[in-house]
Formats: sequence, C-alpha cells, structure tokens
Amino acid sequence: MTTDHSGTIVLHDRADRISAAAYIELLLNLTKREVKGRYSQSYFGVIWAIAQPIATMLVFTIVFSRLARMPSGGAPYPIFAFAALVPWFFFMNSAASGTLSLVTYRNIVTKTYFPREIIPLAQICSRLIDFAAAAVLFAILMAYYGVRPGAWVAVAPLFFVLLVLFTIGFTFAASALNVFYRDVYPMVTIGLQLWLYLTPVAYPLSAVPPRFKWLFVLNPLSAIVEGFRSAVVFNRPPDVGLTVLSIVLIGTVFVAAFATFKRMDKYFSDVI
Amino acid sequence: MALAIQLDRVTKRYKVGRSRTIIDVFSSAVDRARGRQHEIHSAARGTIDSTIYALHDVSLDVARGAGLGIIGRNGAGKTTLLKLISRVTWPTSGRVRVGGHVVSLIELGAGFHPELTGRENVYLGAGLFGLTRREVDRQFDAIVQFAEVERMIDTPMKRFSSGLYARLGFAVAIYSRPDIVLVDEVLSVGDAAFRRRAMEALRRLIAEGKTVLFISHDMWNVRRLCTDILWMEEGRVRAYGKAADIAEQYVNEVNLETLANQSIALQSHRGGTGEMRYTSVELLDAAGRPATFVRSGETLVVRAGYRTDHSVPRPVFQMAIIDVDTGIVVATASSSGDSASIPATVSGVGTLECRFHRLPLRPRQYVLRLSISDSHQLASYDVVIAGPRFAVTGTGHGVDGLADEEDGLVSLPFEFSHYTATAVGADR
Repeated sequence: MTTDHSGTIVLHDRADRISAAAYIELLLNLTKREVKGRYSQSYFGVIWAIAQPIATMLVFTIVFSRLARMPSGGAPYPIFAFAALVPWFFFMNSAASGTLSLVTYRNIVTKTYFPREIIPLAQICSRLIDFAAAAVLFAILMAYYGVRPGAWVAVAPLFFVLLVLFTIGFTFAASALNVFYRDVYPMVTIGLQLWLYLTPVAYPLSAVPPRFKWLFVLNPLSAIVEGFRSAVVFNRPPDVGLTVLSIVLIGTVFVAAFATFKRMDKYFSDVI
Repeated sequence: MALAIQLDRVTKRYKVGRSRTIIDVFSSAVDRARGRQHEIHSAARGTIDSTIYALHDVSLDVARGAGLGIIGRNGAGKTTLLKLISRVTWPTSGRVRVGGHVVSLIELGAGFHPELTGRENVYLGAGLFGLTRREVDRQFDAIVQFAEVERMIDTPMKRFSSGLYARLGFAVAIYSRPDIVLVDEVLSVGDAAFRRRAMEALRRLIAEGKTVLFISHDMWNVRRLCTDILWMEEGRVRAYGKAADIAEQYVNEVNLETLANQSIALQSHRGGTGEMRYTSVELLDAAGRPATFVRSGETLVVRAGYRTDHSVPRPVFQMAIIDVDTGIVVATASSSGDSASIPATVSGVGTLECRFHRLPLRPRQYVLRLSISDSHQLASYDVVIAGPRFAVTGTGHGVDGLADEEDGLVSLPFEFSHYTATAVGADR
C-alpha cells in the first residue's frame, strides 16, 4: 500500500506491489510442493529422477553403440550419451509438465492473484533437483570410466544458463498457449519424442549428413548438448559459430515467449 | 473520504458456448486467406461466438474501512466483481483501481497441497497472499490458534477434514495483513462455532479500518457485518447504500416474488386418504382483505374451504405455521380441543376460519401446512404439505427487523429487572 504526501491511499490500476522476496519464496514453496507431491509415498523417491536417463543411456548404448556402431568421438559411449541426456531430460520433463502446469494449477490461478509465470517456473525449478541428481551420477560415471574433466569444463555453466533460458522460453509459450488450446499439450509431448532424435544426443553433430545440418543448427538444443559434451567430456572449446547463433536464437525465443505470456496472462482465469 | 476500491465503468464480457480449438484458428486463417468471411457458427462444431455480460458498465466507490455486503441472485455478477478487484481476472473495458493489499477468500485453502503438512501449507498459502517467510513466522502461532489445528499441524493436509481445511484457509487469509478482504460465501462451511469466530474476525478487521467485501445469501449475516449493501442484478448495480435501506428493499422484493409465484392450487404435495379434502385456502388480514404480508403483532386469518362425500364424525382440522428457511414448526392450531365450533358430524361442503390474534412472529417467510384427520387423529383424510406462504414484515420501520435485536422466530413479551450487587447483598 502506498501513501501520498497528504496521507490518503493511492489507488492503483495494478495489484498492490508485493516485495519480490515474497514472490521468490512463493516460487520456492511451489517448487517444494511440486517435488514433494511427485516423490512422496514412493519408496525410491528422487532415485526415479535418475532412473530415466540411466535407462535411456543403456538402451542407446545397446542400439546406437553396439548395433549401429555410432561414433562417439573417442569417449566411452555411455559417458558420451549421458552428457547429452542430462540436459535433454531436464528440457523434456520441464517442457512436458510445464506446458500442462497452468491448467493443473487452475484452482489457484482462478482464485488468487500472483504473477502467473511463477507456476511454469516452479515446474522448471523442480526439475533442477532432478538435474542435480543426474549430474552427481554423471560425475560418478566419469570417475568410473576414468574420464577427467579439464579446463574447458569452466564454460559448462554458460551452456547451463542457455539450457535454462531456452527451457523457460519454450515452457512459457507452450503453457500459455495450452490454456487457450488444449491440443498444445499432446502436440508438445509427441514433438518432444521426435525432437530427441533430431538433436545430437545419441550421436555427434559431426555424424549428421551436410544437407540436414541446417535443421540441427537451427535447433538451439544442438548447441547446448554439443557444448556440454565438448566442455565436460572432451575438454575442447565449443563450436563458437554454433554457440553464438544459438545464443541469438534463445534470446529471441525467450523475449518473444515472455512477451506472449504477459500479454495472455490476464485472460488465463477466464478460459482455464 | 478515503477510497479503498474504485470501479470506473467496468464491463466484463465472457465467451460462452464451446471452447475455441486449434482447428478454429486454422480454419479462420484459411477462410481469411481465401477472402471469405469466417463461418463461426458451424453446425458440426457448435457456436463459439456467443458472449454474456457478467458485469455491465459498473461504477462503484468503496470507502476505506467499509463493510460492504454484496447481495443478488445467482449469476448477478457478484463473484465476477470480487475476481476483478482481486486481479484474478481483468475487465473487458473500464478501470478497476484498488488501494492496498487485497486478500480474496473466493475459496478457502485454494492454494493448499494435500501432500504437504499443515505447517508447510501455511507458508505456501500465506506466500500466495504475498507474505514472506519471516512474516509468516511472526503470525504462525496466531494462525494455528485461530484455526485450532495445533494437534494436526504436522500432518499432511490430505488427512484433514474439510472443515479443518477451510478453517486453516480462513486463518491464513485473515492473518496475511490484508487491507481489503474479499469473502465469497465461504462461511457456509465449518461448524457453527467457527462461523461465529470467522464473523467476529471479519468484524474486528472492519473495526481496525480494513475494508471487507462480503458476498452472502444469508441476509442475517450481511446485516450483522455490513454497514452498506450493494445489490447486484444481471451484471448491473441495482441499488447501493445503507445496509438497512437496501436490505428492506431486497427482502420485500424477494418476498413479493416468491409470494407472487406461488400457486394457490393445492394439488402438489398432497397426502391423506381423501375422504375429506380442502378445496381452497385463503390468507386474510383482520379486515378480511387478502394478505400475503402480515405485520408482526397483527391478526392473520386463514380461511379454508372443504368438501366431503361422506359423513365424517368430528374431524380435526390442523393448521401449522412453518418457518420456510429452517422448516421449524413455529405454531400449530388444532380444532381438537375446540369442540364447540366444529359440528359433531361434517358432510358436504363447508368453510372454516382460523384466526391468529396478534401474530408474535418475527419478519421472515412462513408456509402453512394444513391437515384434516379423524377424531382420534390416527388417520389423515387430507394433508397439504406446502400450503400458501406469507411474509411477516417489521413493526412499522420496515425490515429493520433483520438487526440483532429482532433475531429469532417469535417475539415473546419480556421485562428486564436490574439489581446492583450491593442491593442484592442488602436484601439478604
């Protein structure tokens, strides 16, 4: 509540500004609610978060490495695949549950006011827990295979930031659209299945035939998984051209998605 | 006058009909590309483009510290109004301006998660109302105490009863430092003791200078809490002013409507063996004029016609006055003890009059239940479960009878005496 010089209350067009700290806490609380709701009453709890990339890694190792003899650039294939699967699953799970999140949380969207972006953000934050658990497992795998990270591991945080920004951008747009058109969610889940194979997760970008390469270059996740891999597994500098292009793409997606979200969020409670 | 809320020509339009799907977006784009008007009404898919006005050009000023009751029938726009003030939804046109921190109780405990404990949900719910962890820490004990959940506070909320759930939701809301509290008919949950404490808490907030908007169909609660009433009708403001005036208008109109719509036909809800039947029932005032409104303390006459094809020995006529809201039988008049006025044997048609002198009823709506039974009251010849209705109005000053001092069903004659403590001692 703000008060002007004469001591009368000033009326606002917008809701009362509540401190950013309160909203950050709300985000943390919603994240906690999400994590606890997902893993409570399950015996293995957060172990399930790492079961998913492990299982996929095993399948990929059998199918792509043993059967298809896919090159992995000299690194052990399980490490090669896992380095890309960890960021991939973070994106996939965030995007899938994030797209549905505003509809899932309709009872608070239609009944209380708070910045709506907190809801998809809480989904993404809750997947950070999974990401951290998988990252720990990845470190153990690296040690097991005797792969030591070098100096270039220092650029991995850049790709982490790009991953999070792209995930937020995508999830904002998809979750807002899904409020108005419920077909968006099934489209996203099917799209994610295909997207996995159109991203150099199971194979290196160098194995992609040149005439399809543009498709991978325009996919910001290509630069992210390749970047993670070169920084952590191969101890190499990332592909600068590819990375710069994806920074531009991700920046554009993020701004456009956030603008779309804020333009639509006034109407969420009317149609949800 | 310091304002808490100001609405300036606010209109809220909702789309009704089926939801738009992604196909509608594509097909309208295709139609537009072909230079055709998009056919919105598709026989196969149904209409999507019908709209309703939840609010229509509403302007309203609410003073700070007001207790404002919002009344009106379902669909009048009451909840939409609260949603606009709480920013849950936005107006189609016009401006909504609010001064202060708004806490809405459109649904109690809406933000709670069943897997989390009561304690965790207090932090989550208060966070939805904009409180930080430290602020909740300070209020935590008060919240738990108000909701009376000390024993359950570390139990997952899914183990809570619905009453407990609502209690905690209410407690979190009122301890979230609100300047403006929006209450939407949520006090119908919970037990009577909680409802009373909730009303007291809201009253205390008003006394502290907070603004409370209170939707309720319970006129009695509205009158107890609110200084002003806003009467909504079909998305517009029907009336807005002092609680006593608006309440009187509203109750009178509701009475008129329900009483006008009643059919005197005694066909429905009929019981009994049928050996003897009521053929008509009329309500009259002391002067014999038809009356559906009776002032408290005046005379009500019930005139009933009957018919029988038999010869019935000493039938017992009964007329019961029943409170419409509660179903309580307030009084019963029976002819069983009155052998003088009813003939020993009744046959053919006849008319019966029952006079209620100086009706000691409070301003409410009542319905008559009529019956005829045999002399031992073992078998019913006729039962009219829902007979004519009537409304009792206040004594001279309208329906101000909704105030505390006129609460209850009947007015009994009473007399206070007062003795000071010393006087009592001296008597001994």
